[in-house]
Amino acid sequence: MSYYMYDGSNEVTPWERMFATMNGEKLDRVPVHVYPRWAGLEYIGVTFKQAWDNPDLYVKGQIMAQQRFQYDCVIDYDMMGPVEEAIGATLKYPDDDCPQIAEPFIKTKEDMKRAKWKLDPRKDGNMPKVLQCIRRLKEELIKAGNGTQRVPIMTWGSCPSRTAACLTGFKEWFLIVARDPDWAVELMENALDGWLQMVIAAHEAGCDCVWVNDPVSSADCISRKHYDTLTQPFQRKFIEAIRRETGMKIIFHPCGNWHDRLDLVYQNQADGYFLGPMNIDLCAQKAAEVRDAGLNPHLKFLNGNYGAGTKTSTADRKPVPYATTLKFGTPDELIEEAKIVINTVEGADLRCMLGPNCWEPKGTSFINRDATIYAARRYGSYDKKAE
Amino acid sequence: MEILQEITKAVYDGEEQTTVELVKKALAEGLRAQDIVDQGLVKGLHECGAGYEAGEKFIPEMLMAAEAMKASMAILKPHLVAGESVAGAKVVLATVEGDVHDIGLELVATMLGSAGFEVNFMGPDVETSRIINAVKEDKPQLLGLSALLTNTMDVMPVILKQLEKEGLRNSLKVIIGGAPVSQDFANLIGADGFAYDAAAAVPVAKKLVS
Repeated sequence: MSYYMYDGSNEVTPWERMFATMNGEKLDRVPVHVYPRWAGLEYIGVTFKQAWDNPDLYVKGQIMAQQRFQYDCVIDYDMMGPVEEAIGATLKYPDDDCPQIAEPFIKTKEDMKRAKWKLDPRKDGNMPKVLQCIRRLKEELIKAGNGTQRVPIMTWGSCPSRTAACLTGFKEWFLIVARDPDWAVELMENALDGWLQMVIAAHEAGCDCVWVNDPVSSADCISRKHYDTLTQPFQRKFIEAIRRETGMKIIFHPCGNWHDRLDLVYQNQADGYFLGPMNIDLCAQKAAEVRDAGLNPHLKFLNGNYGAGTKTSTADRKPVPYATTLKFGTPDELIEEAKIVINTVEGADLRCMLGPNCWEPKGTSFINRDATIYAARRYGSYDKKAE
Repeated sequence: MEILQEITKAVYDGEEQTTVELVKKALAEGLRAQDIVDQGLVKGLHECGAGYEAGEKFIPEMLMAAEAMKASMAILKPHLVAGESVAGAKVVLATVEGDVHDIGLELVATMLGSAGFEVNFMGPDVETSRIINAVKEDKPQLLGLSALLTNTMDVMPVILKQLEKEGLRNSLKVIIGGAPVSQDFANLIGADGFAYDAAAAVPVAKKLVS
């Protein structure tokens, strides 16, 4: 059977659905957002490098994949390192994967002086290219909507701790955290502004919302004490600066296992949280507690995280596999997990934005992509109580 | 021996300088180098690994313990008798192509090295052809592959297929690890073993080569 049976023509627009959810309101149903970089590239059959060399290909892929899979949001080039590159790091551009830092740029405190910390996203490095892609995406979305932008564009920003870790190398970063916390603070102070400027410029180029992430502060990585005293304050500073400068809705992605510090992460003042491989009951419960205690008045929704609704993950509070349900699960498994996630999040009176617990993986089947939308329609409708 | 307990504690606490001084003192007192490794250093690293499993220790602390271990091993190496190591098996370790994350794998290398394996740590982002060549040249009993990203875990089955194509698969065991990887994934691609983290890798590796 095919779950692809909806043309969307008589429905609420994805833009309206996404913003209702981000504002904590119920419209027709829960939206679906899977960070669909690979959906776009794979649907039109191009590699990341081809789309990087020709931004119009990237734009075409995003728009066609959105129309085909009925996702509620498109994304820009997303989660690559144009800021780190402009600061001075060297990026490696693989043929069919997103760029990564080739080698650590800051090995000693002396190297801090080599870095270009004050950046102009309109001029420096490859940042203008990313902005150009956003402008083209905006233009084409408006054309596709006959003058109305029906689908929002999400951009991405790197938290200061992540940027610092990218610049020093992850191993050195963790040793700095343990041995020289003052240097860690100095690195994060310097790292914050580049990505803030980039997010502001992305907003001016046409992005409508933003997600930010931190893969180096989870319970897999550092202690709760280090998180509380070192990196969480910089997450909060970054998020509050984005809100102040752009007014955009902000999703924070706690990448990995954050079970022992959910109370702290929910206080970094994001509007919603793109949950990693964590127990959905605990995530929803802690989010409601933080909201009800008035510790984050912005907190309205949770994004994610099927893969978390499996029996093994709800039986205890250990991490669950990353994104493997979307890639390796059957449509029935995926729909069942989506149902659990929707019911749990909505049951805590938070809005659910359905998606996996990690970036949408490469090579996800069409039927699983379609099953995601099916699950949102079947179990995420506000017109009738989810079963 | 009290000094071995002190070494264990110094490694556990990640006190590199203290560990090195204690190791020198232990040698001066006439302790066997292998005993210092097994009953002092390795014990400390394993206790740190257990602390990581229990959520009491984290990557910075694990790295500091590994650094203390490595600095001590540099002193002890000339004193270790050839063939005295625990397993004596060769292992090649690599993070697959396209993935620059190798902290976990470096910890695996340190722990396998301390357990007596002869380790060829190839580091991050290693092209498949280089891994195949390393298997041909080193003739290891074990190949360890790591990936942190859902995108790069797909390289693992490619490597396994290439090993088969080159007639190398039957001569070695393959263990995989990394955040997105699971036992189910190991079964799916035909790997021989899976370890969630560095602490779990040593017993799996020992079992596979025994």
